[in-house]
Amino acid sequence: MRSNATDLTEIEQDALAEIANMGVSRAANSLRQMVGEQVFLSVPTVEIVTRQAASKLVERNNSKRLVAVQQTFEGPFCGKALLIFPEAQSLELVRSIVGYEHSLEDVIDLEQEALAETGNIILNGCLATIANMLHRTMRMSLPSIVRGDGATLFGNGASGEQYVLFLYIDFNIKKRDVGGFIALLMDLPSIAALKEIVNDYVNDIQRHLPSHVG
Amino acid sequence: MLDKATDLLVGPVFDAVDIGLVVLDSQQCIIGWNEWIARVSRRPAEDVLGKNLCDVFPDLRNTRLPAVIEDAFQAGSSSILTHTLNTLLPLQGDGGERLLHNIVVRPVFSAPAKYCLLQITDVTVAVIRERLLRERQNARYYAIVDSAPDAIITIDDSRKIRWVNGAVDDVLGYSHSELLEQKIDILLEPENVLLPILAKTNGREETRTAVSVVGRYRDGRTGHFDVSIGHWRADRRDFVTTIWRDVTERVIADAALRDARDALQQANEELESRVEQRTRERETALRQLHESQKMESIGQLTGGVAHDFNNLLAVILGSLGLLKKAVPHDPRVSRFLDRAIQGAERGATLTTRLLAFARRQELKVELVTLQKLIPEMLDFLRHSVGPNIDIHTNISPDINAIEVDANQLELALINLAVNARDAMPEGGSLTITCHNEDDGKRIGTARDGFVCISVTDTGEGMNEETLAHAQEPFFTTKGVGKGTGLGLSMVHGFIAQSGGMMRLKSELGKGTTVTLRLPRARENPKAPIANIELSQLAKPKNLRVLLVDDDILVSMGAADMLLDLGHSVTEAQSGSHALRLLESDTPFDVVVTDYAMPGMNGFELAQRIKERNSRLPVILATGYAELPANRSIEFERLSKPYTAKDLAAALEKAANS
Repeated sequence: MRSNATDLTEIEQDALAEIANMGVSRAANSLRQMVGEQVFLSVPTVEIVTRQAASKLVERNNSKRLVAVQQTFEGPFCGKALLIFPEAQSLELVRSIVGYEHSLEDVIDLEQEALAETGNIILNGCLATIANMLHRTMRMSLPSIVRGDGATLFGNGASGEQYVLFLYIDFNIKKRDVGGFIALLMDLPSIAALKEIVNDYVNDIQRHLPSHVG
Repeated sequence: MLDKATDLLVGPVFDAVDIGLVVLDSQQCIIGWNEWIARVSRRPAEDVLGKNLCDVFPDLRNTRLPAVIEDAFQAGSSSILTHTLNTLLPLQGDGGERLLHNIVVRPVFSAPAKYCLLQITDVTVAVIRERLLRERQNARYYAIVDSAPDAIITIDDSRKIRWVNGAVDDVLGYSHSELLEQKIDILLEPENVLLPILAKTNGREETRTAVSVVGRYRDGRTGHFDVSIGHWRADRRDFVTTIWRDVTERVIADAALRDARDALQQANEELESRVEQRTRERETALRQLHESQKMESIGQLTGGVAHDFNNLLAVILGSLGLLKKAVPHDPRVSRFLDRAIQGAERGATLTTRLLAFARRQELKVELVTLQKLIPEMLDFLRHSVGPNIDIHTNISPDINAIEVDANQLELALINLAVNARDAMPEGGSLTITCHNEDDGKRIGTARDGFVCISVTDTGEGMNEETLAHAQEPFFTTKGVGKGTGLGLSMVHGFIAQSGGMMRLKSELGKGTTVTLRLPRARENPKAPIANIELSQLAKPKNLRVLLVDDDILVSMGAADMLLDLGHSVTEAQSGSHALRLLESDTPFDVVVTDYAMPGMNGFELAQRIKERNSRLPVILATGYAELPANRSIEFERLSKPYTAKDLAAALEKAANS
């Protein structure tokens, strides 16, 4: 019925956004435990785009210097998860996490590790939420840091992963706002599997609705 | 399963690796604990195996490690916990130093069992190395920055000071920590050029040249600084690094130099104006000198001419007098003779004035009190100026006496009054004031003790040019035939001869003031000269007179007069001739000698006669006051031109002395 397997219906979009928000709020809890202060993470929109479109989207603020935390995942669907920031924002994020008592030089020293851990927390949060909902286990790799422009981050397309589940993510830590992206690179079967999971989730909710209403 | 795991995990390799390895079962109980972790945690495997990890290290419950392990089991996620964001296990190195470590948490699925592997990595060495590297790099940077003599201050976009170098103490007086977190505004005056520049450039424009700023030291003083500005961006934020160079001394030195230059220029200008003034003064003095020299030569010329005329008038008057006696009484002839005598007498008056101007008139100095003299002559003055002019006097009662020729002073005052009258054809007022003037310096003379007589009119006054010539003889503003032009010059000569001075002050349309200053009388003035009236004299006896004069005409006139008076006369044409005659046996009762003669003058002759025969009286006939001061008193004097009456009186006095 749908002409394109990669299009998301409105309901699917809402459901994905909800799942993502559950994931990041789980991550926010972890971060709060670490930072000792309230951390707000939110995902306002979700869409599925091509790899090329994604590499353009991440450069939208004229910022070609990007830094990403990357993890691979395997399970009911496979692919690569990326948390992406403009380079300057990444430093700001780290700074807001490690605290302003550190000098800029200290932050630069810490950036790599702190960013890896932070990205790890957020990506794990999202992926673990999905895994929990499926009552399935996924295997997730350790995070690695990648720097470069959009094309570098999303690769040349030699692999089969052509589609990107693209999420905008806003961080608010210690009254500072940092904007970034979460990208899940997947091949077509993985996308279809994800959509199935999402639809199951939607159906599950709808099944429960009447009883809630009643 | 546990056995299988033990087989799998516990072995020589497990204990040989140089990282910490911990294996947990799904209950988070420790089933693997390698030697490395046993060593650095000081907990041997036998102590911990089978125990829950959080029971072994209770502090871990406050970390996110338990949740991460849970995720590894539940979701299969791998996590990293770094030392930068987490405080983890209490691990120590061989020397007891705290080990910085990261923990990687991975699920290990060995179906059907699940395990969780913790890999603990010591990163202490790497962290220390990084720190050392940075410190070394920073040391080089700080060596440059902190040894800089200028204060280097970095501010953020809210103008808060983020970083300063050590020179802020020397340059601005602040310690390092005092400035941090302060706004840079505390270093500036409220009105300054720096803040607008910081706001304006906003990181986009670089300011290449230093800005001159008035800054504030810690103690509140202000100073001058050249501030260089550099913008930079880091971490999405704008920073400005300012380099402050204290140029206060230079600015002060510049200002001092500028002041000195101004002062020098001012001094130069003052000098120039002083030179100009001196030049003007010198020119004025030269003009005055020139003027007085001119007056002097005019005076000499006038005096010489008047003297010669005096002699001639003496002859004419004497001869006319004799002629009047000699011719029979005829009214017609008498009239002619009287007219001739009147003319000659007026001529004599004129020569007297000329001599007065030339300061060569014979002055009969006496003690004069102005309080008495001026009121006595007021009637006469009123008569002279006419009814249109009011005369006011203001004579100080304590005015000092002066030694002056009273007749000449009266004449001078009459002259001034007449001049005033002529200056006030429509009428007006004339004021005579007299007062003492003790301080000579005020009037430009070194001498003290003057009496000042001012005659002020309310007439038309004089312009500058007229004023300049007013004292010259024969200068007159009056119409032809109305004045002789000798009035003021006579007064001037008289006052000067009397040791005083005359000043003219006049303003066109407002009037003229003539001020006469005469020296105060000395303490013991000479007694006034008795004025003996001819009529009082006894009938003269016949005298044998030796008459000495080089001018034959004058001599003849005088001889005739003497003969007419009934005396016998022997004439001599020079002093030596006279002495020869005196040496002869011819007896003489009196010698009448002219003063101005070539060779031996009258005074020398008189002295020679006195040396030979002190009892022989000598009469000196002089036309002007050329006699040496104070010595003329020894001899009887006769002013030329003299009349028979004058001659008789002089002879009488000489014979009776």
